[in-house]
Amino acid sequence: MTLSGVLTVVWYSVVPWLWLLALMTIIFLVPQVIARMKGYRFTSTGGLGSKVLPPVVAVLALFLVPMHTTSSISYVNTWVDWMNLIGASVGLGIYAWLVFHPVCYLRNKKA
Amino acid sequence: MSKKTLPFESVSRRDLLKLGVGAGVVGPLALTAGAAKAVNTNAHIVIVGAGAGGTAMANRLSRSLNGARITVIDAREKHHYQPGWTLVASGAWDKSKAISDTADWMPRSVNWVKGMVAEFDPDNNRVVLNNGQAVDYDYLIVASGLQLRYERIEGMDTRLIGQGKGIGSVYASIDAAAATNDEINRWVASGRGTGLFTLAPTAIKCAGAPLKMTFTTLSKLEATGRRDQFNVEFMTPSGGLFSQPQVHAFVRQRFTDQGVKRNDFYTLKAIDADAKKATFAVRDSEDVTRDYDFIHVVPPMTAPQALLDSPLRFQEGPFVDWMEVNRETLQNERYPNVWGIGDVMGMALNKTAASVKMQAGVLEQNILAHLQGRPLPAKHNGYTSCPLITGIGKAMLVEFGWADNMAMIPSFSFIDPMAESWTVWVMKDRMLRPAYYAMLEGKI
Repeated sequence: MTLSGVLTVVWYSVVPWLWLLALMTIIFLVPQVIARMKGYRFTSTGGLGSKVLPPVVAVLALFLVPMHTTSSISYVNTWVDWMNLIGASVGLGIYAWLVFHPVCYLRNKKA
Repeated sequence: MSKKTLPFESVSRRDLLKLGVGAGVVGPLALTAGAAKAVNTNAHIVIVGAGAGGTAMANRLSRSLNGARITVIDAREKHHYQPGWTLVASGAWDKSKAISDTADWMPRSVNWVKGMVAEFDPDNNRVVLNNGQAVDYDYLIVASGLQLRYERIEGMDTRLIGQGKGIGSVYASIDAAAATNDEINRWVASGRGTGLFTLAPTAIKCAGAPLKMTFTTLSKLEATGRRDQFNVEFMTPSGGLFSQPQVHAFVRQRFTDQGVKRNDFYTLKAIDADAKKATFAVRDSEDVTRDYDFIHVVPPMTAPQALLDSPLRFQEGPFVDWMEVNRETLQNERYPNVWGIGDVMGMALNKTAASVKMQAGVLEQNILAHLQGRPLPAKHNGYTSCPLITGIGKAMLVEFGWADNMAMIPSFSFIDPMAESWTVWVMKDRMLRPAYYAMLEGKI
């Protein structure tokens, strides 16, 4: 497949989700920027929320991601299915950490 | 999706966005990109049909030919993503997801004649439209698709689909697909009854669609928790469920496991919509009339009538109702300046968008070679693909060709073609439409 072909497929795949990507980017950036203005770093102490919520998000994603695709976890069958689902869930867990960690930092600082 | 040109250069906004989004994802692949050298010609190439094959060829040839005049003939203003119709008919998609404007996919340099071909006249290198206009050509690509022959089923009318008479058919149109979903839902909500799922006695496009409709309906019936109140039967004119032997065996076993009764050598002959009765011709036996609460009708299919009335059809053999081409080169055997692509051609399998994707590359290479007086370099291998939905939420990625008794030729070595998979469902639901659009643009 040519570069142009790859780009075309990627583009048409992404188009329906541009709004979601934009929203997730904003949700990621706002607490990051605010917290960093107040001294936050990835190595800063977060809080209980940033320890508990990301794993909860990752576990919930195992069930919710298939549901979001009009399917169910009972149809996750092959090793490729599991790799994709676990990858998506871990990714969402990391995203949740990137959002919750600075939020918890700000809460702790306020307290 | 429309191509809107920026005022300061001839690059569409869509192309710029595409470059921006895509480059970040696949930038490293830039090293592998390459552009083929265009061929100079002043030939007039006429493409009949602006469906998957016609549009893909218009885009490919408009890039690979310098100086050619390309004319596309088709009256349809809307382009339908037909591989999505089973998702509409099973309620997984809204029909708007499968509709776009034909103009969005048409290259700017192409002359689009909005009409339908009424006569093919290959002896005089021209086609005649239904308004009497004659269009001469140097090269002709027939991409007219096929004709649904509902009229061959007595009492059947596509206007009956989804009208509360228990009749559904995913093939008739996008609206009929949506209406079929409504009809299935009505039957499921009724809580009981008999559903009959048919196959046609001819070659059909997307031969997996009748199976998909059966499996997705079974998903709905099983979800009610009262599956035993419903009788589901599948009628086959030939005894075959699917042309690929492994898939045939799989479906046969699944039907047994899911309580679907098979009636082999049953061909739908007539429907009495008001009485909800279907009559089947049965091989070596009397006709059988069956009551139904829901019936999924698969119509017989042939090439369009204008082609059947022309010298371009096969004169004899099993494909007499279809356009004659060499199945490997896609060139007409008797008229070397006439070529085919897509559903219209007479060949085993290959009435799928996936086949069109492979045929488009072969056809482009062969037409360019023919224009340059070189031997035809490319051969179609019969590749076809069916993301076989085996339930709402799971599917199998079945890909095969003509060789070795239709042996599997998987595109992805890590996907087992015989395994039901959530990933394949997601591909069918989310990824194949983007790939189809890339095919229309002639990019893959």
